[in-house]
Amino acid sequence: MRVKASTILLYAVAVVLIVVITVPILLLLGLAFSESPVTIKGFTLENFSYLRKGVLFENDPVYSKLYPNVYSVAFNTLLLALGNMLLVVFISSMAGYVISRYSFRGRSAILGAFLVIHGVPASVLLIALYFMLREMKLLNTILGVVLVRMSVDLPLGVWVLKGFYDSIPWDLEIASMVDGTSRLGAFYRVMLPLVKPGIFAVALFSFLSGWGEYIFVYTFIQSQTNWTFSLLIRSLIGEMGGINLSLIAALSVFYLIPVIVLFVVGEKYLVRVTIGGVKG
Amino acid sequence: MKLAVITLMLAPATVVVVSFMIVPAIITILMSFTNLDYRFIWEWVGLANYQKFISDINTPIFVRNTIIYVAGTLTFNVGMGLFLALVSTHIHDTLGTLMRALWYLPRVMPSVIYAFIMMWIFSPMDTGFLNTVLKALGGEPVPWTFQYYWPFLFIVNGFIGCSFGMVIFSSAIKAIPQDYIIAAKVDGASQLTIIRRIILPLIKWQIAFVVAYQTLSLLASFEYILLTLDGGPGYYSTEVMILQAYHLAFGQYLASMRYGYAAVFVTILLVIGLVLSIVYWRVFRLRELMAEPKME
Repeated sequence: MRVKASTILLYAVAVVLIVVITVPILLLLGLAFSESPVTIKGFTLENFSYLRKGVLFENDPVYSKLYPNVYSVAFNTLLLALGNMLLVVFISSMAGYVISRYSFRGRSAILGAFLVIHGVPASVLLIALYFMLREMKLLNTILGVVLVRMSVDLPLGVWVLKGFYDSIPWDLEIASMVDGTSRLGAFYRVMLPLVKPGIFAVALFSFLSGWGEYIFVYTFIQSQTNWTFSLLIRSLIGEMGGINLSLIAALSVFYLIPVIVLFVVGEKYLVRVTIGGVKG
Repeated sequence: MKLAVITLMLAPATVVVVSFMIVPAIITILMSFTNLDYRFIWEWVGLANYQKFISDINTPIFVRNTIIYVAGTLTFNVGMGLFLALVSTHIHDTLGTLMRALWYLPRVMPSVIYAFIMMWIFSPMDTGFLNTVLKALGGEPVPWTFQYYWPFLFIVNGFIGCSFGMVIFSSAIKAIPQDYIIAAKVDGASQLTIIRRIILPLIKWQIAFVVAYQTLSLLASFEYILLTLDGGPGYYSTEVMILQAYHLAFGQYLASMRYGYAAVFVTILLVIGLVLSIVYWRVFRLRELMAEPKME
């Protein structure tokens, strides 16, 4: 009987924990479909009217001029996320392979350096990076943000993919080379397909990190034509945070759709990124 | 041939890391010895910025805030991570997996959205979610973020940070041989005794690792403070060192664009970060992760 009571208590705690973490998402949805601009009341699709033309505050010409088109903002966000993803995957799949499979002088130094660098968050380098981008004439460009974001995510990608390569038996590679492939051929034809789950994990992770990026965009981007979702939403919060929450929530829901889809598809891969390389 | 392959495939990563991580770190340190400002002129001033840092009456506030923030968030993080790991490994596996998945979500959510919802939930105004609930229950609204700003920040950052510990702890708990636990049960040990006497001692290295790692990243993370309280309420209540560096460099007031002085804060954090990295590198024998490849 005592065991039963503690089991019931355990499950009750589990349910509470599940409810607590879902509350923020449910509240966001509630606000997005709310008739009241500041609390959850009733149900309306009115807050999503910007989806038709991409214009916020369509009925208010003064306000609507203040903000960029939602779809061009979405395009910039996508550009940043895809650029980050492609560069991180491309560079880390090569580096991870070499570090996993070749022994050479300085190998453990490089690996150690990647780990230490990953441990120190890049936000501390913001000031110097700002200065460098300014010198490179890359301030206020998506490319500049992509380069910085990519270099932050890269050490993690290398670590995670190195781990995936490590887990593949040497026999497979040796066998394919006995059959006459070169080392590079073995990498391309045998190893890359085998580490697909790892590449998928790193791709997902770096896409999401580019998609959600805020600090770098906020610091390096000035003109509205280069805004991403995070800047648009942040600016709306700053100017009407107390007035029109439901519009901000509706925009957030639009911003969140790809995140939720990718999260549902790849949650188990994302967790492997956490275990492989780590991020507080 | 072998050397060519290594160079070719390693070069991009090395170039990126050197030019966007190591060079900026060096530039930051050099900057801290100049009075670089909005004119962007490198003027060597020696240790003047460091002297200013030591003598500034606000410095103790930033240092104290950093300690409060790191210690508080860390406690919440690790405690909650451990709690989540223990609960999710002791319930039915499907439910446990769902629970871990949901608690991982804040980590991938765009920071602006997460901060927006949290600010609304804990809003000090009557329209904030918690206050609406309180009023419906007949209570008085509470000025959450004005009165309880530190707990608020611990929760906001902790909800994101705890999934890291959760993932590491739960896989460590799952790896514990069932024999130990069954033997203890046969001996009549209660579940709490099992947790305290068997599980916790067996995962102590993982706990130490999570603590070390998160200390490092918390020291230099300020995104969620910037997005929520931005150093307020009031006079520098939650202004941590790295946030002050950000404000000195990119703040909106006339006091900003003081890159040289801001670099002092960053240099100090970089040095602390480097020392901590070396310590946990040694302590956690990460070198073992770098076993040499077999072929050749």
